Amino acid sequence: MIEYYAFKHRGDAATYDDALHMCIIPTTTMVLYYGSHQNENYKRDSEMLTDIFASDYVQSDFSVLCQVLEATITKDAEYMLLRISDSEIISVRCGDIGAKIVMGGEMRSLPNGRFGLHTGDRIVCGTGKFFEKLTDEAILCDALVSEDCSEWMNLMVRRISDVNELRCGNLTAVNFIVRGQTD
Amino acid sequence: MTAKQQMMWRAVPEAMYDFTILPERLSEMLNVAGVLFMVALAAFLYIVMVILINVLKLKNKIDRKNDDFLLCDIAYFYEKGRRDEQEDSILISPMSDYLDHGVAVAVSDGMGGLAYGEVISRYVTDRLRELHPIDFDDNVKNAEIIRRISDEVYENYHLGSGATLVMVQIKDNFMNFYSVGDSNIILIRGGRATVLNPKQNYIFLLIRKMAEGGMSTHDAYINNRARALVDFIGNVNCRVLHTDSPIRLYEDDIILVCSDGVTDTVSASKLCKQVSSQYSAASSAQRLKLAIKSKKNPKQDNYTGVLIRMERSFL
Repeated sequence: MIEYYAFKHRGDAATYDDALHMCIIPTTTMVLYYGSHQNENYKRDSEMLTDIFASDYVQSDFSVLCQVLEATITKDAEYMLLRISDSEIISVRCGDIGAKIVMGGEMRSLPNGRFGLHTGDRIVCGTGKFFEKLTDEAILCDALVSEDCSEWMNLMVRRISDVNELRCGNLTAVNFIVRGQTD
Repeated sequence: MTAKQQMMWRAVPEAMYDFTILPERLSEMLNVAGVLFMVALAAFLYIVMVILINVLKLKNKIDRKNDDFLLCDIAYFYEKGRRDEQEDSILISPMSDYLDHGVAVAVSDGMGGLAYGEVISRYVTDRLRELHPIDFDDNVKNAEIIRRISDEVYENYHLGSGATLVMVQIKDNFMNFYSVGDSNIILIRGGRATVLNPKQNYIFLLIRKMAEGGMSTHDAYINNRARALVDFIGNVNCRVLHTDSPIRLYEDDIILVCSDGVTDTVSASKLCKQVSSQYSAASSAQRLKLAIKSKKNPKQDNYTGVLIRMERSFL
C-alpha cells in the first residue's frame, strides 16, 4: 500500500499555476507540473495534463504515458511523472523539480528511471521552490520522526514557513510512504 | 702435582654437574623455580591469547558496520545565566561502554516560571541514568520509557511543573534521537546547522492551520502564545518524538544537544561561526559559551549544551 499526501499553496503569488494530478487505481501515477516557473503556456499544459489524467492513457504502460506527455505538453515544460508501487518507482523528471528518497537512515536524490522500493521507504517530490529552503538533513529527520505523510509534510512546511512565512510563490509537493502489503 | 691433587682436580668438574651431590635445599629451590617458571609461562601465554582474542573481537565489532568507524569527542557547558536557579540537567553515559552500547546524551530543561523545574529536570536525567544501558535498537521501547517518566512526573506535580527533554543515542555511526518539548538537537554538517527535532509548541498548530487554509503564516509568529509548549515531560501521556530508524552520521559531523537558552541567544544559523569540525569539541564548546556570554543578554536563560564531534578512529 502507498500512503501519500499532497501540498499545494499559492504563497504570495496572485494565482496558483502549478498542477498536480494523481490517479491511484490500479497503480499510483502522478504528474507534478511546475507551471509557476514557466512560460505563458502553463494554462494550456495544465489543461492537457488534466485531459490525459482523465483518460485511459494514465493506465497504459509507463513508457507510453511518457510519450503521450512529451508529445502533448510544451517542449521546455518542467514536470515530473511517476508511477509507484510497493516494490518500485518509475519516474521521469524534467527541469527544476526535486525528488528525494529516505532509506536506511540516509537521504538520496531519486534517480530518473526505475528504482526498487522496500516497506518503510519514504519519497518526497516537489518543485524547486519547495526544496529551496529545506536542507537534506531536515527532510531526513522530519521523515524519520513523523508517523504519517501528512505529519511529515507539515513539518517540512513549518521549516519553509520559519524562513519566509510561505511568502514565496507557489509551493507544490507530494510525499509517499511505502507501507507494504496489507491483508 | 701430586696424585692426590690430580684426583681432586678431576673430581671437582664432574661434581659440578652432578645434581645428586647438591645440597637438598638447593635442589628443592630449583624445582620450585622450575614450577614457577612454567606457571609464569602459562600465564603469559594465557594473557597474550586473551589480548589477541579481544583485539580480534574489537576488530570484528569495528568492521561489522563500517570501515570508517567513528568515535565521539564530547564536551559540554552548563551555565546558570541570569536565573536564580540552574534548571537544566544533563546526562552523558559512560564512554567506557561506547563499543557495546554507544553513547547517550540528554539535556533536560526545567520549565521556566514554574516551581520545581530544577527538581524535575534532575529527576528526568537521573531516571535515564538508572536505565543505562539503553537499548539502541528498540527506539519504540525507549520512547515508552520516557513517556512513563513523564507520567511519573505528572503523578507528583499534576501539571504544576514540567521539563523538556532531548536525548541522542549514538552507536556504530548511527544516531537515534528523542525529543519532548522545545529544546534542541542541532546537526552541523558541511558548515551548515540544521535543527533536527521538531518543536512541540503551539506555533506548529497555527502554521499547519494557516498553511492548509492557503494563507501566509505571518500571524502565527506574532501570536502571544506561539511559543507555548503543547507537550512536555510532566504532561500525562506525552508524545515522545523519536526517529523511526537511525540516522547515518559521517566524519566531522557535530551534534549539539542543548537547551533553548543557547539558541535564544545564538541562533542555529549563526552557530557555525563558533562550532566547527576544525576545532575539538572542547574548543567549540568553549567558543560557543563565550559567544553566549559576550552577548550579555539581560534575560539570559540557563544555557546548557553538549557537543559531540564525530571523528575517525585510528584503531
